[in-house]
Amino acid sequence: MKPSTCQAGVHRLMEYLEGTLPTDVRAELESHVAGCPLCRAFVASYVATPRIVRSVTEHAPTAEQLRSLRAFLQSQHGRG
Amino acid sequence: MVTQTTGTSDEALARRAAAKDSDAFDELVVRYQHRVYRLAFRLVGNDQDALDVTQDVFLQLFRRLHTFRGESRFGTWLYRIATNTALMHRRARARRPTEPLEEYLPRFDSSGSHCGTPEELQVAERAEELLDRQLLGQRMMRAIEQLPEGYRVAFVLRDLEELPTEEVAATLGLKPATVRQRVHRARLMLRGCLSDLLGVQP
Repeated sequence: MKPSTCQAGVHRLMEYLEGTLPTDVRAELESHVAGCPLCRAFVASYVATPRIVRSVTEHAPTAEQLRSLRAFLQSQHGRG
Repeated sequence: MVTQTTGTSDEALARRAAAKDSDAFDELVVRYQHRVYRLAFRLVGNDQDALDVTQDVFLQLFRRLHTFRGESRFGTWLYRIATNTALMHRRARARRPTEPLEEYLPRFDSSGSHCGTPEELQVAERAEELLDRQLLGQRMMRAIEQLPEGYRVAFVLRDLEELPTEEVAATLGLKPATVRQRVHRARLMLRGCLSDLLGVQP
């Protein structure tokens, strides 16, 4: 399906961003988005989503937790 | 005996660790413990389970190192172990059933045009600016947990761990096109979730 509508464009959006769309479909999508403020707004929020989710779910173990983990694994490996 | 580990490739360390070189094994733990923990946290949803999974992953690594043939990158191989371990752990805990996030998919009118104004369609982009960060983190962890398992794993590896699509496909034994389709659906659902948190229909 060619992305001549917003819905068709959204359907192919990830392929577009990863550069895996055929040239003619890519050109059609770019042409649609260039003339469609709704799609430009949608794409901005779509592209931002992974960055936002990554940022707010970033979680690291504490130094103490890592020390315990290494000590435990070293004891196990030493026994192997 | 102290052996040289810094600057050595993962694959060379893996061979040495398989031959009972404790320094090489420890170096692999140091290199990957943050990534394994982070992946586990995002797949199981809490700190204690993520630590349990991380420990289990490295114990399995220790036991299985002799089977590493170097046909894929070491990191890909370890991510596969970590992903499977986290999913098994989650299933064993019988978490609450996933609730469909279909309601967060974008809406279109009968002509295939977006519903909503540009401001409404774009609002998700401003979630970090407009919402409390801790609340947003909790809501997104819950939303990730609600994704269908296949979408969740693909999204976490591709978009949160930032592995290339081809590497995610190799890790999960899927075609790259399948990974793209699943990550895309997950992005649409999470984008809709962000909009919903800001009081706007996706």
